[in-house]
Amino acid sequence: MKVIDRNINIWNKFKSSNRNKLSLYIFSFIFLFSLFAEVISNDKPIVMNIDNQLYYPILFKYSDKTFGGYFDTEANYKDSFMTSKISKDKNWAVFPLNPHSYDSINLNNSTPNPARPSIHNYLGTDDRGRDVLARLIYGFRLSVLFAFSLTAIGIIIGIFFGAIQGYFAGKVDLYIQRFIEIWSSMPELYLLIIFSSLFEPSILLLIILLSLFGWMSLSDYVRAEFLKGRNMEYVIAARTMGLSNYQIITRHILPNSMVSVITFLPFRISGAILILTSLDFLGLGVPPDTPSLGELLAQGKENIEAWWLSLSTFIVLVGTLLLLIFIGEGIRESLDTRSS
Amino acid sequence: MKILEVNNLSLQYVNLNNTKSILKNINFYLNQGETLGIVGESGSGKTLTGLSIASLLDKSIFHINNGEILFNNNNLLLQSNESLRKIRGNKISMIFQEPMLSLNPVQTINTQLTEVIKLHITKDEDNIKKIASEMINKTGLEETNKILASYPHMLSGGQRQRVMIAISLVCSPEILIADEPTTALDVTLQLQILDLLKKFKEKTSMSLILISHDLDLIKNYSDRVIIMKDGNILEDGETKKIFKNPTNKYTKELIQSNPHNMIDFKPSNKILLKTTNLNCSFITDNAFFKKNRKYFQALTDINIELNVGETIGIVGESGSGKTTLAMSILQLLNYEGTIQFDGHNLSKMDNNELRKHRNNFQIVFQDPFSSLSPRLTIFEILSEGLMVYEKLSYKEMISICSKLLNEVGLNESMLNRYPHQFSGGQRQRIAIARAISLKPKLIIMDEPTSALDVIVQKSILELIISLQKKYSLSYIFISHDLKVIKSISHRIYILKDSKIIESNDAHNILYNPKTDYTKSLIKSSFLN
Repeated sequence: MKVIDRNINIWNKFKSSNRNKLSLYIFSFIFLFSLFAEVISNDKPIVMNIDNQLYYPILFKYSDKTFGGYFDTEANYKDSFMTSKISKDKNWAVFPLNPHSYDSINLNNSTPNPARPSIHNYLGTDDRGRDVLARLIYGFRLSVLFAFSLTAIGIIIGIFFGAIQGYFAGKVDLYIQRFIEIWSSMPELYLLIIFSSLFEPSILLLIILLSLFGWMSLSDYVRAEFLKGRNMEYVIAARTMGLSNYQIITRHILPNSMVSVITFLPFRISGAILILTSLDFLGLGVPPDTPSLGELLAQGKENIEAWWLSLSTFIVLVGTLLLLIFIGEGIRESLDTRSS
Repeated sequence: MKILEVNNLSLQYVNLNNTKSILKNINFYLNQGETLGIVGESGSGKTLTGLSIASLLDKSIFHINNGEILFNNNNLLLQSNESLRKIRGNKISMIFQEPMLSLNPVQTINTQLTEVIKLHITKDEDNIKKIASEMINKTGLEETNKILASYPHMLSGGQRQRVMIAISLVCSPEILIADEPTTALDVTLQLQILDLLKKFKEKTSMSLILISHDLDLIKNYSDRVIIMKDGNILEDGETKKIFKNPTNKYTKELIQSNPHNMIDFKPSNKILLKTTNLNCSFITDNAFFKKNRKYFQALTDINIELNVGETIGIVGESGSGKTTLAMSILQLLNYEGTIQFDGHNLSKMDNNELRKHRNNFQIVFQDPFSSLSPRLTIFEILSEGLMVYEKLSYKEMISICSKLLNEVGLNESMLNRYPHQFSGGQRQRIAIARAISLKPKLIIMDEPTSALDVIVQKSILELIISLQKKYSLSYIFISHDLKVIKSISHRIYILKDSKIIESNDAHNILYNPKTDYTKSLIKSSFLN
């Protein structure tokens, strides 16, 4: 007599739909791909051979002097000094697929910036001459990581407070609910504006500020589910069997309340991506140099004739959100034990 | 004269994935002024038969393959929607089980009643008012104006069902289809509602189709009866004949499943449970100062005693405090008074101490669908209690759970499944297996068979009794159904408005009732 692991069941169910499988594979592939952005899109060579010695510029910093230059600063592998060095004799260098980083400016461009897509910049450049493809890759990675952490923090805090409120009800519920009402009436956007002028803008600051407010919408749902769940007959039965509060919450009420949490999961992740994008678009988000989708969209708005800016960002954004929502739908469907 | 004839009616349920045959070539007829009873277990197709006569089926899901429904020799299946609307509610009316769901909660009774009058009878405002209040009067409701001005939630269950009857009878239909009209009501109300329907029928020569799972009710109120199972009509004929000489095997089983006396053993003299002056009240109107608070008294001075191996029945209608009593004994509510259990005073224990004793008293609930967590497998459900009290290996756990399932008549191969894959009766068996998993001394049965079909009910009752004999368990059996209670209880307590108004051993209560309330209970359970 073998008891089948429930998680395998869920995974089998998720796999049974092509849409789910495809969305998950595409998204994971792009996400993993973007995690290695430094190897894929960089202005430094992955490996190079100068005068019979191998260098790994992506891993280590080499100063200009190493190659016989005049400066103590890191070598610029794109300037004429280095390019002539690399093309000399038997020297060689292997550049990444896209030989630009998110902050490297293409100074050799013959056309004014923003430049059209060309053999040098596959998706063109922005108005400062930075490669759009590189900024998209780095921007995508940042957005997704940001969204994941924001969602994770929000869910943990939201479930924690919602569970406490719903399970213990009564006075505990009353006080936390009043606190939430006061807390949620604080003007979030103004706080963001004020804080972004007080502190140096950074990703960490954004995550902290948004997390302070983001958990409340979720805790409401968790609370409602727990209020409903605590009086279910199977919960009363568990209590008569002597299970502790913690066991009842984790075994009985939480799994049955997770549907609402998981239903919101894809929307929360895509929502977080959208928040970051819009804050960047308004210039309230990440520091100016950071690659971000919102900043690219803002550039697209200012340079309306540079269609490659807005179009490519738009496709990346919509594609990401769509994939996330498909995956979320799939997870929700496969968690529902009642559908066959 | 035949007013309605159903010939070769077949009905299929069709959705994306499958088609299911629901009614299979059924034939029956209804005479004018007659009451036709339709009996069957849930899923037998009795409600859908009623709905197809009233032409209320969703045609996109339910396909009528062949057959005809002749109403006054017109085939209803061929009528247009327009002409059906003139028949529905006017000539053929229907009342449903749950009056709270069939009345619109945001409109007054007046609006809902006059709506029908306007549609089918008259548009004259004065006349409408007159007809409406007359109709409410006829259903035996007093304070007509107050009733008309109220919203459904302000009325009691019995009043709501009377209002429903008023709405469906205001056009004096030729056929009234009553689909389990009294199942949601307390027993003492059931008779009143049925008598009301009978009175109307006699006055207006209306025909009545009475759909029910309750054999006694059909036996007493219908002229002819149809026995349905799995979409087939197994037997039809005059009620008296069928109940006397059933020819079909299933009908025989159905008639015999009426609970009879099942206990043939005596409990021991050792007292297991004793409550003294149990009181319990809930705050209904909270206020800052104590004196302004209002309370609802749910239990008043309850004294019960239970011996080892004994079953006591607690009977009462909804709101009488039955479930509150169960929750107090289980120590899940705050109460006043003392509860002595197996030599311990449970009332004095704190939560940690209580948890050590909790395995000794368990509960089985009414609704087998909400008493099992839908996200846990049967194995997880059964092993849960064991985890708390004993350190067992995975293998031991599985062997214990398999034994438990065998004990309640299920197969151990079901350990992997989820509750929704079981029928109501099987779920109730699982709930019982969970209750006995901790080897308790007392099990509280809170209406364990009310949601089940009669045949299943009988088998569950047999299981309960056999477990009692085997482990000398003590039961507190809570029910509104005196028939079930008397068949398995040694002693019976009658609970009304939070008080015990009568208690005696089962035989004496039934044949020598002291209070009027008990007498009316016995009468409405058709026990005399």
